[in-house]
Amino acid sequence: MTAPPEGEQRTPPRSSPSGGGGPEGRRGPSPPLALVAAEGGTRRLAAVDDAAAALGLYVGQKAADAAALVPDLVAADHDPDGDREALEILCDWCVRFSPAVALDGLDGLFLDVEGVSHLWGGEAMMLDDLLARLARWGAPARGAIADTPGAAWALARYAPDRTIAPPGGQAPLLAPLPVAALRLDEAAQAQLPRLGLFQVGQLLALPRAQLARRFGLSAVMRLDQALGAAREALVFRRPATPWFDRLAFFEPISALSDLERVTGDICALLCARLEAEGRGARRFELVFHRLDGKAMPVAAGLSRPGRDAARVAKLLKPKLDTVDPGFGIEVVTLWAAEVEPLSSAQPGLDADDGASLEEGLAPLVDRLVNRLGEDRVWRADPHQSHVPERSVVRHAPLDPQPEDAWDPDRPRPTRLLRRPEAIEVVAKLPDDPPVRFTWRGQSRRVRLAEGPERIGQEWWRKAFDEVGPGKVRDYYRVEDETGERFWIFRAGLYGDGETIPKWWLHGLFG
Amino acid sequence: MPGAKPALSALRARIAALEAGTRTPPPVLPFGDPRIDGCFPAGGLPRGGWHEVGGAGLEEETGAAPAAFSALMLRPLAARGAVVWVMRRADLHAPGLAGLSFPTGRLIQVRARDEAEVLSVLEDALATVGVAAAIGEAQSPDLKAGRRLQLACERRGATGILLRRRPYGGPAGPRGDQGREVSGAAAQTRWRIAAAPSQPPPGDPGLGPPRWRVELQRCRGGRPGAWILEQAEAADGPHPFRLVSQLADHDVGEAAAPSVTFGDSSPRGGAANAA
Repeated sequence: MTAPPEGEQRTPPRSSPSGGGGPEGRRGPSPPLALVAAEGGTRRLAAVDDAAAALGLYVGQKAADAAALVPDLVAADHDPDGDREALEILCDWCVRFSPAVALDGLDGLFLDVEGVSHLWGGEAMMLDDLLARLARWGAPARGAIADTPGAAWALARYAPDRTIAPPGGQAPLLAPLPVAALRLDEAAQAQLPRLGLFQVGQLLALPRAQLARRFGLSAVMRLDQALGAAREALVFRRPATPWFDRLAFFEPISALSDLERVTGDICALLCARLEAEGRGARRFELVFHRLDGKAMPVAAGLSRPGRDAARVAKLLKPKLDTVDPGFGIEVVTLWAAEVEPLSSAQPGLDADDGASLEEGLAPLVDRLVNRLGEDRVWRADPHQSHVPERSVVRHAPLDPQPEDAWDPDRPRPTRLLRRPEAIEVVAKLPDDPPVRFTWRGQSRRVRLAEGPERIGQEWWRKAFDEVGPGKVRDYYRVEDETGERFWIFRAGLYGDGETIPKWWLHGLFG
Repeated sequence: MPGAKPALSALRARIAALEAGTRTPPPVLPFGDPRIDGCFPAGGLPRGGWHEVGGAGLEEETGAAPAAFSALMLRPLAARGAVVWVMRRADLHAPGLAGLSFPTGRLIQVRARDEAEVLSVLEDALATVGVAAAIGEAQSPDLKAGRRLQLACERRGATGILLRRRPYGGPAGPRGDQGREVSGAAAQTRWRIAAAPSQPPPGDPGLGPPRWRVELQRCRGGRPGAWILEQAEAADGPHPFRLVSQLADHDVGEAAAPSVTFGDSSPRGGAANAA
């Protein structure tokens, strides 16, 4: 078996416009339901449920005709965005079955179940479990498992429910299906029945060259994809990763101490595998799957790739308070991202002596970042800008050091006020540094002053009006009689006749 | 007992001879001037402990002079590891520290949400491998927090500085002055930093190197002192400060410079002398 077996399951559009997942048609005698979409001024049915289909309604029918045929039809507006969102939620839920889940249009999901079906005791049991759970929530679905996404797509929609193709045995199962099962483009799909080609098997019997000439290369490609002769790339909602582990419990758990214990257990599982492969990860996402289908994720990040189970568990445990176990948690999954090669380091004899500086700092940075948040721990690095408030850029503390540095000839204060504060100034001449200024109600006589250092706005960042001469700042470094040093500036220039320049205090040297 | 003394000193000499090869001197951070280092019991600022640095007047809110002084004092330590600076108000400007030749690449800044978080992050940082020093800006740790900081410092020999600051101004908290008197008990030293008028080189119209009026108000096992210190130029050697003048005595120095007023120095001065 070369191609991975693909599970595919299909769900109809949401049954109720509110998205609440109300009871579907199969549960009791509820009125037939259809979703209606406006299409160029005509309202047409966009989806029908089983009851409506049994009464002869079909997708694409005019809403008025349908209402005439079935007077008690319940119609609701078609909401593709809402459908998509609901499908994404379902997609995230399916992660409990396999880490690789892809959305397919508005009504389907692909699950890559290679290597995970044994956890359920086989592909058939897995498919039954998945569909039974969906049915319990009133989301009727069909499913099939096959070697290729194309075959699974076809079997789920046109073959008997829960068909499982044996490895390499797609062709006989596909042969009796209608050609629509091949996901052909509209033109080809309309043309084929006119030529008397109704079933996939008929296409399989035709010479390939003729097929390609008449119906385009895409038809041949679709056929090959279904049979496994051509590859098909799926866009998984999460990147497919082998760094995934899962723990299921016989009895649902809910006590915080239990959650902490399983956190430690699952971290140990995944980290042992990472260690065996010589890798480390920077992000870990722990998801608690509740009995009612909700997933409660908890994430932790590391500043450097790591695989120390105790350390990862320690970062995750404080966040378990936010997990609401509801009626209980039955499955826990752990997913490692940003996995990088990480050679195991030999602990040096002088490990305590600061030889492994970063090794020691990384746990501290991780603790702080996970506790306070990423934006609260940083290293200030130089940025190429003369504007003081933009000359500093914040980086993660253990990022590689930048090469540039601040200009040592431009003295800068140790405290920079986030917003400059207005000061009142007495100056002898318009362009001179002030003789006296008042800041926060305290008048200070300037003993020494240095400057000006003229800093203009960065004209390439703003509109022209905002960077004119009125926005130029002249900075002075002044010292008052007690020796306190201030960084003050005058915004604008005297003599342009329009505005009177104002003085501001921007920083303190200390 | 005059007879016991020679015996005792002989015993001490023997112990000293035994320990001479093995004993490592207690780690200190010397200032490079005997007039300052003499105040400390081991000839320099003790490294495995925490120190309290405060300002006066408006500095209690802005904390600019204490920050510049602390950064300069810890500069030699930054060569040994990272320096963590924990604050509530993120107005520390790294280019300014770089202007004091402080290696900002080694500086990790942390913005905490409240006072308790400042202290717990500071404690966490001090107990971590690879952190040479940590600075926390807080108002008034109580005795228990002070003890915890001391224990964290002792674990790895890191140096802590508690920068006394009320970052958003306003009146002192309900614990106010009572809390600050207590906090001093756990600190190794207590400093008060204020700016001092600088002396530009002759013929230079600008500002001279920055100067601080530095008061060592309390020093465990040592004695207080007061000096005017100036940021040392590169030619002056590896130490970050240059002693400009020694203020005669703690109290006399205060009287001699009435222009620098300290709001609540009189009870503190008494306590410092008692200690």
